[in-house]
Amino acid sequence: MNRRNFFSGAATAVAAASVSRVALAALPEPATQASADTAPPLHPPTGRPYNPVVTLNGWTAPWRMNAGVKEFHLVAEPVVREVAPGFMVNMWGYNGQSPGPTIEVVEGDRVRIFVTNRLPEHTTIHWHGQRLPNGMDGVGGLNQPAIPAGKTFVYEFEARRPGTFMYHPHADEMVQMAMGMMGLWITHPKGQHPQIAKVQRDYAFLLNAFDVEPGSMTPKVNTMLDHNIWCWNSRVFPAISPLVARQGDRVRIRVGNLTMTNHPIHIHGHEFEVTGTDGGPVPKSARWPEVTTDVAVGQMRQIDFIADELGDWALHCHKSHHTMGAMGHDVPTMIGVDHRGLVGKIQKIVPDYMVMGERGMADMGAMEMPLPDNTFPMMTGTGQFGPVEMGGMFTSFKVRADQPAGDYRDPGDFKHPAGTVAYEWQGTPAATPRPARTDAPGTAPGAANARKPPTSGHQH
Amino acid sequence: MSALQNLAVLCGAALLAGCASVSPDGLRGDVAALTAGRTSVVPQAALPATDPAARAQAQQSIESWLAQPLTQDAAVRIALLNNPGLQARLAALGVSDAERVQAITLPNPHLSLGRFTNSHEREIERTLAFSLLDLLTMPWRAARENERLQIATLQAAQDVVQLAADTRRAWLRAVAAEQLAAAHERMADAADAGTELARRMVRVGNWSRLQLAREQAVLQEARSQLARARLAANTEREQLNRRLGVWGLHAQYRLATPLPPLPASPLPADGIEATALRERLDVQAARRQLDTQATRQGWSRAGAVFDDIGLAYSRNTSTDRDGGHRDTTRGWELELPLPLFDWGGAARTRAQAEVEQAAAQLQDTAVRARSEVRSAWLTYRTALDLARQQKSEVVPLRQFIADETTLRYNGMLASVWDMLAEARNSTQAVANAIEAQRDFWLAETDLQLALTGTSPGALQGLPPGAATTTKSQGH
Ligand SMILES: [Cu+2]
Repeated sequence: MNRRNFFSGAATAVAAASVSRVALAALPEPATQASADTAPPLHPPTGRPYNPVVTLNGWTAPWRMNAGVKEFHLVAEPVVREVAPGFMVNMWGYNGQSPGPTIEVVEGDRVRIFVTNRLPEHTTIHWHGQRLPNGMDGVGGLNQPAIPAGKTFVYEFEARRPGTFMYHPHADEMVQMAMGMMGLWITHPKGQHPQIAKVQRDYAFLLNAFDVEPGSMTPKVNTMLDHNIWCWNSRVFPAISPLVARQGDRVRIRVGNLTMTNHPIHIHGHEFEVTGTDGGPVPKSARWPEVTTDVAVGQMRQIDFIADELGDWALHCHKSHHTMGAMGHDVPTMIGVDHRGLVGKIQKIVPDYMVMGERGMADMGAMEMPLPDNTFPMMTGTGQFGPVEMGGMFTSFKVRADQPAGDYRDPGDFKHPAGTVAYEWQGTPAATPRPARTDAPGTAPGAANARKPPTSGHQH
Repeated sequence: MSALQNLAVLCGAALLAGCASVSPDGLRGDVAALTAGRTSVVPQAALPATDPAARAQAQQSIESWLAQPLTQDAAVRIALLNNPGLQARLAALGVSDAERVQAITLPNPHLSLGRFTNSHEREIERTLAFSLLDLLTMPWRAARENERLQIATLQAAQDVVQLAADTRRAWLRAVAAEQLAAAHERMADAADAGTELARRMVRVGNWSRLQLAREQAVLQEARSQLARARLAANTEREQLNRRLGVWGLHAQYRLATPLPPLPASPLPADGIEATALRERLDVQAARRQLDTQATRQGWSRAGAVFDDIGLAYSRNTSTDRDGGHRDTTRGWELELPLPLFDWGGAARTRAQAEVEQAAAQLQDTAVRARSEVRSAWLTYRTALDLARQQKSEVVPLRQFIADETTLRYNGMLASVWDMLAEARNSTQAVANAIEAQRDFWLAETDLQLALTGTSPGALQGLPPGAATTTKSQGH
């Protein structure tokens, strides 16, 4: 019996089955997603009502109600994720994508999750931040036997407290997370919660990083820190969807970090408060205004603010290397190096050679040079004024006066009111800029005199 | 006088049987015929002529060949016309020819006159003596001298064939060395650019002296390799000059480049041993040697027993001094050695041993020819595979690596020094391909020599590969 028949047979069995305990054995058809675009929010068709989140470049898993239990089916499997158009990465994920679908439930829901393992090795799922029976916590060996390849296990517990959570393997997790196995879990409050405001826009994404050798497709799972693909939900700028809001909307952004380093997430034009962590809502008395919040490894942060300033605002990780695509971390700095008389000489040996980095790396944002196959450029993406010179953990937050409620489409470039864009000064021209060359040390006026160690004994 | 007439008739018969005159062209025609199709790339090359008009014309041809970029074909033609060593060798063949003619010309008869007086008589003796053995063995000796000369001709032809092969080898080495020097120049240029850029990196504070020193070390290595390559190009060219027999202005020719392309399909191995046994000049010479010894064996039988047979005719006159009465006696005198002590056994044994020696030498030559041709074919085939691999696999791979490194440079994933190092590596691969191509043509020369010419001497085999790649610290 092949799998396809198995699942359609199972679906038929579900349709025919009553609410008996035997129905547990009947698997729900797993939903799968082929696109890496941001899916529209999934308004709950059954179960308790809630205000859905928008998963950035992701989607929410559909469920079926079975005798009052919300049943999901996650399939752990190898996937090819479009990290940026034309840049495909072999990952492990769930239901056709990495990260897997967001699971959205309501406080007090009883949840049953079928987990089918189509990976070449065993796996488990840990439900990060949940209160649940110890045997459902998903640490292979400690709480349960690992799910062997080809088998389906069932997790079942009650979503006891509202908040922002994640799921990820806790078996061979170094490999499995380096390959992209992760997903978001949102538990919405049942009714009105005193610490949880109602918002008009609720965005969620995970921070994840990969090390993909330029020209290859599979992440190097043994890389500890020197990653070169810095993603939000396995997407990189300019392929990350913009976050949009109507002016005056209360906006919530939920960020979880499953990389191996911290990320200071920074928004322009607004200040926010951290209103929740994976520990739950932050008491109002403990909140303070921020424009950057550091999301440490394994943490989640939920920030709320009013989108009151019109415009296209940058939203990014403040570690500048994390807003860069693949780059050679050992490439020497070329700034200020005089190439005169050498370019022709090098071109005689390497005909395609072009000078880069002599004035900095901005050349990379402007030049369209051929790269190795399947290589994400270091910095790319253009705005209405030119190259944005970013790639990685960067996108924009677009506030418009007329963005319709429930509309998440990109409204395009911001139309700046006249006189509100920085402009060139039209007075007397400044002196010709000095070339970017280093002066001899200690010659700047007022520079301290550094004493050199004696050089006796050295013959130069 | 009828006896003298008889002698003259005998002598005339002997002359007809074996006497010959000196070859007017010093046997060069024979050598040319033997070397046809055996002088490497040139199907039929002219040899130095004895006649001054032909020599002048040859000189003109040499001038015109040297005025063009020198092909291997022209190099072989020039060497065969102009190499002084070969000219000496061919002159020596003329000497051998003269010696042959001398050896089979009948010795002059001896005339002895005597005048004796006593108190009453005066006696005059006239004897015309002739070595009969020389005459009797004339056909054998003539045949033997002819055989010897043919062997000498075959040996001279082998020298011609060797010179042609040596010249071709020298041309291949000189051309390859010139191309290799050009490749090393490119590699040194790449290292030079890297070092200059490194120096400027240090000047603005981006690099340490240590990092510069590493690039300088790469440059020094590249420069020393370039110096060696240039010396090699010069040395190989001088080797070619020696084969061509040129100096001064004549030595300022340009070499035609590049090396000839690799053949589409290799020579088949079928029948190569049979070809070698049939075609090789050294095998033919050994066979002749055996024939000569066998012939000589017959002659030695007669010659050994009757060391010399003397035939003399004498006419003696004695005159009575008082009476004037003259008495004349005429007569034949035959002089025969008595085989009392030397019954010719030693000479026969020697002849027998010489035949055995010649037979063994023929066998040895044949065994060597078979082995050499097998070995030469295997070297040829392996050299072709290696040259093809280098040309169609390694060079494109290195080029791909260099191109991909350039793409990585474009993405700021690799440094300009990585790119220059890969440019050096791909140039090194091209240099290795030139060497492999040269080695193939050298092996082909050896194979042709082993197949149709003579022993290629100590078969070179293939030199060990010297593929090296360099790395840059510049990242
Ligand atoms: Cu970051």
